Amino acid sequence: MQNRTLLIRYDEIGLKGRNRRHFENQLVRNIRNSLKRIKNIQIEKIHGRILGRVNLVDAENAIKCLSFVPGISSVSIGITMEPDFDEIAALGISLVRDKLKQNGQLKFCVRTRRSNKFFPSSSKEVDFEVGSRIMGELSSEGLSVSLNHPEFTLEIEIGVQETIVFDNRVAGLSGLPVGSSGQVLSLLSGGIDSPVSTFKLMTRGCRVHSIFFDNRTFLGRGGYDKVVRLARTLNRFQGRGKLYVIPFQDIQVAIRDFCSDSNRVVLYRRMMYRISHAIAELKKCDGLVTGESVGQVASQTLKNLAAVSCVVPMSVFRPLIGMNKHEIILNAKKIGTYEISIEEQPDCCSIFMPSHPTTRSKIKYLELDEKRYPWEKLMVEALGMVETINLDDLDD
Amino acid sequence: MIYLDNAATTRITPKVMDVLKDSMDSDFANPGAIYSIGLDARKKIERARDNISISLNLPPTHKIIFTSGGTESNNLFIKGRCFPDKKIAYLGLEHPSVREPIEYLRSLGNDPFSMLEFQFEGRLDLSKISTLADNRSRLLCLSHVNNELGTVNDPSLIINALCEGSPETRLFMDGVQAVGILKIPSQVWSGLAGYSISAHKIHGPKGIGLLVYDSKLSITPIIHGGQQQEGVRSGTLPVPLICAMAKAIELATERIDEMQEHYEFLNSRLVQGLNELSDKIPELNIRFNSLVIDDYKKQSPSIVNFSFYPVEGEVLLHHLEEKNIYVGLGSACSASSKKPSKILIGIGLSEENARCSLRISFSGNNTIEDVDIFLEEFSKAYRKLYLTFSKNNNAK
Repeated sequence: MQNRTLLIRYDEIGLKGRNRRHFENQLVRNIRNSLKRIKNIQIEKIHGRILGRVNLVDAENAIKCLSFVPGISSVSIGITMEPDFDEIAALGISLVRDKLKQNGQLKFCVRTRRSNKFFPSSSKEVDFEVGSRIMGELSSEGLSVSLNHPEFTLEIEIGVQETIVFDNRVAGLSGLPVGSSGQVLSLLSGGIDSPVSTFKLMTRGCRVHSIFFDNRTFLGRGGYDKVVRLARTLNRFQGRGKLYVIPFQDIQVAIRDFCSDSNRVVLYRRMMYRISHAIAELKKCDGLVTGESVGQVASQTLKNLAAVSCVVPMSVFRPLIGMNKHEIILNAKKIGTYEISIEEQPDCCSIFMPSHPTTRSKIKYLELDEKRYPWEKLMVEALGMVETINLDDLDD
Repeated sequence: MIYLDNAATTRITPKVMDVLKDSMDSDFANPGAIYSIGLDARKKIERARDNISISLNLPPTHKIIFTSGGTESNNLFIKGRCFPDKKIAYLGLEHPSVREPIEYLRSLGNDPFSMLEFQFEGRLDLSKISTLADNRSRLLCLSHVNNELGTVNDPSLIINALCEGSPETRLFMDGVQAVGILKIPSQVWSGLAGYSISAHKIHGPKGIGLLVYDSKLSITPIIHGGQQQEGVRSGTLPVPLICAMAKAIELATERIDEMQEHYEFLNSRLVQGLNELSDKIPELNIRFNSLVIDDYKKQSPSIVNFSFYPVEGEVLLHHLEEKNIYVGLGSACSASSKKPSKILIGIGLSEENARCSLRISFSGNNTIEDVDIFLEEFSKAYRKLYLTFSKNNNAK
């Protein structure tokens, strides 16, 4: 089995100051966790990089797993070798020759990064030494040098302990490693937006648990099944996530039957926020996450967002607030939730949705409406019936 | 669990399951193979074919083609006989597996004749049969028992009417809902051009059905391949499914009188119970969409379809589901649209009334207790939901 070295890079962590080690250690833990199914892989931290020792077959699988780990900026599969120009050039020649055979002609360059400052040649000198050897062998077969627009780049990293040569880079998710910023609770619906907002907070280092408001006696279990699948898909980016399911029909019916029509939607959301806040406190989450975006629907006007936020003494994060629908859809496609979100799902808008929802709700009227139904009692009952799903247990 | 949606599908019976399991275990050989175990498999198919012919009273003029189910049987006969422009007539209240192949032929230039204006109580008004001759229709496609209403088009009456009023028109019937509920005498079969059956509606396995057709007629195949079944329907025959279907048909037809009595008993208890609830609960108005008569030539006793405006059938269905009671929607929405199906609208119901309806369909497994429990839970759920839905409509 041929051995390979995974070269795992991070960007934002590198900008950290004295707490950089905290972030690096978290990223290493997350990487180990994501690769736990690959046997015989060893992960080590060196200065500014994380390395993985693995065989050629597992290296490809590992790259797929690492594409789900926030905090990684890119990954390359390389070969560790002696810093000998002839040996590096020999490897380069075999790699370039494969490409040449496919294309007939090829523009290439060599790029060296030298963190071992005791190495006798400079980066430019290494580029020249290796590059000229490859040219000497292959220029007659159609190879040329292009430093600005190469079609093939042979990269060499000369570190203190070892030299790694590679010709590929796979982009990662960037951001911060999950677990480095604490926990938050995301209000997850079956729609397109809330999975994207959940993901956004994951890439800021948060472990994101989710909460879903279920109305299966009116809508059936289809919505619940869909949200479980969404939550499971999102949990691939972090692990150890939980989904809390709250039966919401009694609250929704009470609001519908006793409160003014136009305020309904804002009243539903105020209850969702209150219940989410209670769960967040209980589960040690330091903020709520929603998929709201200004003006997208009637409940997401500035006035209504304010009327909803004011019921919880907790940060509410809305990472999509300034994004348009097209951008959100692109993000949803990228993270693999879009196809699930657009699946047909029964809804009972005709019963619960008012014909003319308010876009400028007033707090005093909302509070008046909330005197018309026993929301505290219904909230306690709903919290008593919460279902907790450990998303890691759903894998396989 | 109380399962009252037997027109959708039925639970496989133990005797059929035994046949299926045994055959799965032993009859693996390809029935087209010429070695002995292949010949044995072929013998089993021929025996099953003979048994089905006996159970259904088929005359020697008719033959059986095995298919994947009712939908394929309907497609095979309609497209196989009328492609591309042989004139077809239909009532417009058929299952989509009849209507959609007809629509497909329309897209190819066929000009089908819809007789919806001649429907009476969900059946074809026989006094209008001569319009078929005026239209030069060559094939009339009807449901034997309507899948949503249970209303019956009696083949013997229709065949007689066709002989007199439109002798050039042959009759094809979708008999998926009729097997085990209505008998077809041998002389009536002689007048039928084609008839489709599905095993899973009569406690058999899913994925198998058959088409009975007059062997004088030629059918252009829609599935081409290894020329099995005389080239009419290519594909390796699934011996276990065919044996299991033969058993299911045998069981369904041998107790037909007993079952009719059983269905009648359940039906009258349900209708009476609903009428009593309607009298007892001032806000409940039951409207029967299926016929409340005990004449099997007009209405199958195994299906009761009723409306209860203003509560939506879908919401009631989910409330009953919470109590482990499974019923059908009176008007199934198609997956891609929220509009109620064409059947209830076709017999003159408003969209609201069609939406506010359920279909109860019995099997031999149902008991009088099932009906009583359903009635009790239905009335509880209706009362609970009435306020919500009546307010919804007042607001409108």
